Amino acid sequence: MSTSLRRQQARTGLLFVLPCVVLFAAFRFGPAIAAAALSLTDYTIGGGTNWIGLENFRRLAGDPTFWTAVRVTIVFTVLSVPLSLLTSVGMALLTRRTTIGTRFFRSVFFLPVVTSLVLAGVVFTWVFSDGGPWSSILGALGLPRQSWLADSALVIPALVLVSVWSRFGYGMLIILARLQDLPAELEEAAMTDGANAWQRFRYIVLPQLRPVLFFLAVIETTVSFQVFDTVYVMTGGGPVRASYTLVYALFDQGFRYFDLGYASAIGVALFVMTLVVALIQRLTLGRES
Amino acid sequence: MAWRIGRGVLLFAAAVLTLFPFYSMVVLSLKPAGPMTFPGSLLPWPVSMDGFEQVLGARSVLRWAFNTLVYAVVSVVGVLLLSSLAGYAFAKKHFPGKNTLFWSFVAMLMVPYHVTIIPVFVLVSKLNGVDTYWGMIVPTLANAQAVFLMRQFIAGMPDELFEAARLDGCSEWRVYRSIVLPLIKPILATLGVFVFLWHWNDFLWPLVVGTSDDMRTLTTGIASLQAEGVPLNVVLAGSVVAFVPIFMAYLVGQRFFKEGVTMSGIKG
Repeated sequence: MSTSLRRQQARTGLLFVLPCVVLFAAFRFGPAIAAAALSLTDYTIGGGTNWIGLENFRRLAGDPTFWTAVRVTIVFTVLSVPLSLLTSVGMALLTRRTTIGTRFFRSVFFLPVVTSLVLAGVVFTWVFSDGGPWSSILGALGLPRQSWLADSALVIPALVLVSVWSRFGYGMLIILARLQDLPAELEEAAMTDGANAWQRFRYIVLPQLRPVLFFLAVIETTVSFQVFDTVYVMTGGGPVRASYTLVYALFDQGFRYFDLGYASAIGVALFVMTLVVALIQRLTLGRES
Repeated sequence: MAWRIGRGVLLFAAAVLTLFPFYSMVVLSLKPAGPMTFPGSLLPWPVSMDGFEQVLGARSVLRWAFNTLVYAVVSVVGVLLLSSLAGYAFAKKHFPGKNTLFWSFVAMLMVPYHVTIIPVFVLVSKLNGVDTYWGMIVPTLANAQAVFLMRQFIAGMPDELFEAARLDGCSEWRVYRSIVLPLIKPILATLGVFVFLWHWNDFLWPLVVGTSDDMRTLTTGIASLQAEGVPLNVVLAGSVVAFVPIFMAYLVGQRFFKEGVTMSGIKG
């Protein structure tokens, strides 16, 4: 390649990436650095900006509301990720063999994934309301008839159910794609050797699903850490902050109280948590796969 | 045989549970205002169009739908154009700093969008972009995932395809337009559907940046109805308006939805 051609190549290359570079500098890199920097200031819109060092983090560490948000987010994640993965595996196994209607069922199970969580939130607010379907069914089963969204111990389980409803179809599809790649011979051989369905799943299918399940665990954890839409619509963080998640806290502090420095500190904390959990998952679950 | 029947029953029950919220949404949106009891209100009658009349008349649902469409369509076109240009350059051109630049783009995938939302909001408000279309759209065009997927897709194509055209004297723009673009059609479709869906369902960013009633999208508009304590049949009529276009598109192009969402991992 001649020098002039190479130079022309470099020029077009740069020209083609330029718009993206400008946008990334302005709206991704810059803000990422600014988020870290803002967390060290007492910036409010319209007010002044002072460097206050680690003051925001000291405030976070001593703020019971922040620790509530951390606890709520972790409890939500610990409940929703395994439940959602379990449902995904179950539904993938049920829709694995292509028989009449399988495609229809797969499409039905994937529909919530493409549905807005705001819409889901509006409907599920009614589902969980006092006298709504959920409390009526519980009542019919002899359990206390009450609105789960109004109970500080049950509000997270309610949000978890919505999250499982909205996410399991995604995991199901990813697992199905993997199941389709598995050679059928192994299972057939095990079947002729008299292995029952559970044994075939436990010793043949499950080990081969491990990498996919690891991938899903990471994705679902990230999604759960960022839960916001349903909280905003269904509970507003309540009752008494029982569903006050981290992103909801960030929104509340930043856009209701306009305490942007403090909200940025919450964002940095969320980022660190995401990173730490991804690392732990890599070291524990990931090693085996 | 028993297993077959059991499987069928389980599938059927799961489908009913999955579809129940959709059924409730539609049926309750067609009820007159008043307390929605269970199971009485889930009967398909009496039918009343009050909810739809109110939400389409007194409230700005059509305006919100228009805003959502603008937000989604302009973003799809912008993201596809910019990411395919950049992806092509990253895959097939040689220029100084290429790898550093590409991997720093990819590294941004690690930073959740919630972490940067405050500085982005501050920047947009300094540029007077709060409550404007461009202020809502432009920050979302910096899409690391799209650039990454484009680059991977184009890198898998043989160099000869592009060289031959260049030797024939085609300008770089012509090569992009008449060779690159037609070749990447499949990924344009799946990525396009994903970006569209992401924007259609996006909530936090429009909530923060679209502050007046006229700049709301369907998601933030419906959330505002819910927050104002508007009767449920009206809120749900709005929800049906927001849901039907996506549902129709899903019926027609399911494959793209599934590919788009699974390819990109996270729902908007």
